Amino acid sequence: MSAETKVLDSWVLAEFATPDALVDATRQMREKGYQGMDTYSPYPLHGGSEALGLPPSRVPFIALGGALTGIVTALAFQTYMNTIDYPLNIGGRPTFSLPAWVPITFELAVLLTAFGIFFGLLGLSRLPQPYHPVFESEEFRSASTHGYWLSVPTAETTVKPDDIKNQLTSLGATHVTVVTGEKE
Amino acid sequence: MSNQHTSTLRVPLVSEERTLGQLTEEICAPMERKPSRMWWVAFALAVVTLAVGVGMVTYEVSTGIGVWGLNKTIGWAFDITNFVFWVGIGHAGTLISAILFLFRQKWRTSINRAAEAMTLFAVMCAAIFPVIHMGRPWNAFWVLPYPNDRGSLWVNFRSPLLWDVFAISTYFTISAVFWYFGLIPDLATVRDRVKGGLKKAVFKVLSFGWTGSSRTWHRYETVYLLLAGLATPLVLSVHTIVSFDFATSVIPGWHTTIFPPYFVAGAVFSGFAMVLTLMIITRVVLGFEHLITIRHLENMTKVIIVTGGIVSLAYGTEFFIAWYSGNPYEKFTFMNRAFGPYAWAYWTMVTCNVVSPHLFWFKKVRTSPAAIFVLSLVINVGMWFERFVIIVTSLHRDFLPSSWSMYTPTVVEVGTFVGTFGLFFTLFLLFTRVLPIISIGEVKSVAAFARGSHAPGHASHPAHGSETPHEHPAEAPEPLPTPALAAAVVRKDMPV
Repeated sequence: MSAETKVLDSWVLAEFATPDALVDATRQMREKGYQGMDTYSPYPLHGGSEALGLPPSRVPFIALGGALTGIVTALAFQTYMNTIDYPLNIGGRPTFSLPAWVPITFELAVLLTAFGIFFGLLGLSRLPQPYHPVFESEEFRSASTHGYWLSVPTAETTVKPDDIKNQLTSLGATHVTVVTGEKE
Repeated sequence: MSNQHTSTLRVPLVSEERTLGQLTEEICAPMERKPSRMWWVAFALAVVTLAVGVGMVTYEVSTGIGVWGLNKTIGWAFDITNFVFWVGIGHAGTLISAILFLFRQKWRTSINRAAEAMTLFAVMCAAIFPVIHMGRPWNAFWVLPYPNDRGSLWVNFRSPLLWDVFAISTYFTISAVFWYFGLIPDLATVRDRVKGGLKKAVFKVLSFGWTGSSRTWHRYETVYLLLAGLATPLVLSVHTIVSFDFATSVIPGWHTTIFPPYFVAGAVFSGFAMVLTLMIITRVVLGFEHLITIRHLENMTKVIIVTGGIVSLAYGTEFFIAWYSGNPYEKFTFMNRAFGPYAWAYWTMVTCNVVSPHLFWFKKVRTSPAAIFVLSLVINVGMWFERFVIIVTSLHRDFLPSSWSMYTPTVVEVGTFVGTFGLFFTLFLLFTRVLPIISIGEVKSVAAFARGSHAPGHASHPAHGSETPHEHPAEAPEPLPTPALAAAVVRKDMPV
């Protein structure tokens, strides 16, 4: 997207008093058919991902991929270096000594799995993100300390922002606001 | 549904009523106010000690390892003792953050951040010793398998010393990733509190633009669980491999199959002692007594009783096998340990590691920070002597009596060891100034409100389903725990 064509994206943000109120409201809003919502809280909400209807995370598959890469790489380079390229005779032991390859294979598998899921999470969650529309709201800063917030993107629904605001207020939101920011 | 992360039947983990905002304030306070006079005194002391260490290492590297007390018979002594000592201390951090997480021990939340930082600093101290022991540390990169012009002479992958290189470097990297990963939400909290300026910019970058979104938390919890699942075997493997440095040799006293579990238990034993030493000081100096409560300290002393028991059993088993195997060399080594010229070191070790932890059976001792503090120091002295005894007494009476020898550390060796404490405390003191030393997000999930008594931070609005727990105790307790690894597969919600 070129810099000239700035697409404005507006989100309705609602703060709730308690985590339970947030989870409840999220579920009801989803049942009304709203898409692409997200909740924000200072710690993981119990039942938050269920209320949003999030599918199971793909992270475990990334982990499996990392582990397999580590195992194959470690076995390959140890065998190549000590068995094929420069066989070292250490006290007449076999140059292909698989049991001795195990510790390093294990370590490399763990290392690559951890890197895989760490960077995998950043990739899936699009972090680091220098900009997000929610940062436009000063009140939203409480999401990282004590606030429980719900965001409803207006782009994916035909309902007017004011109607969304009313619906959220009737679900118990203590503070409702609309933020407009640039779309990615 | 209720957002409960802890059972109402349990003693609260945060001993005073706090709202979420207050918790954030309190934990961030030490990094936002000016350092106290006490901090400056401690920091000055640590830096001076560190300078001593730097001086000693500089002298040693520029002169050669002849300045150490090593000789032809005793090629490993103070340096390797210190290496194993520091690596061992590092283990408690990962144990608290990973193993206790998998076992759903919620009390870990207020100590895991500091313990993980301690792990990183301890591993840094440990890594110094093998590198300077090389004598020519500028060639340290030779331990890595890189293409070279010596025909590509590769490293020997059958050597436990090389396994150590991979184990320690992986351990350090994973510990750092685990620690940083846990920090991200808290970095965002700090970012949102800071008004502006350089500090804001730094925390903006460090927090990766974290918004606290459920979509991210959802993956975050999976990643955290997986990292914990990875760090658990890793922490066991690291000290196992360290023990292989000894166990795969043919030296009587080293060549034993019980070394891996024995070393791991010893590492946890000494690591928890070090965590206690640090936490007891930290909670008083920073006023965190209601977050790092007596209950936390008490739980750690219980871990010490168990691991101390395993270590004692290992000492007994070694002695028994020395006799039962009928191997005269083995038997001699052990008799020499207990009654030879280094008997004083052996009995120091036994007193500190076998006898002293049993004082923790008394509730009075377990709940007295002063008593725990003294005992934690005693245990660390004992664990240092354990490594010294294993290394030096096994070597100093060689197979040939003509090569028998004695070892005494020189000033340079002692100075280097003291210097690593300087490094350790310098880093730890800086850490208490620049980062939240208690995991803010995790403590919130176990704070008093989570017991369902009232809504967090909004006492005026009653929580949804805010019946008092006593009226409906059946609704209150946590769902039955799923086995951690099964949870990893089916992705059950695992609150931190």
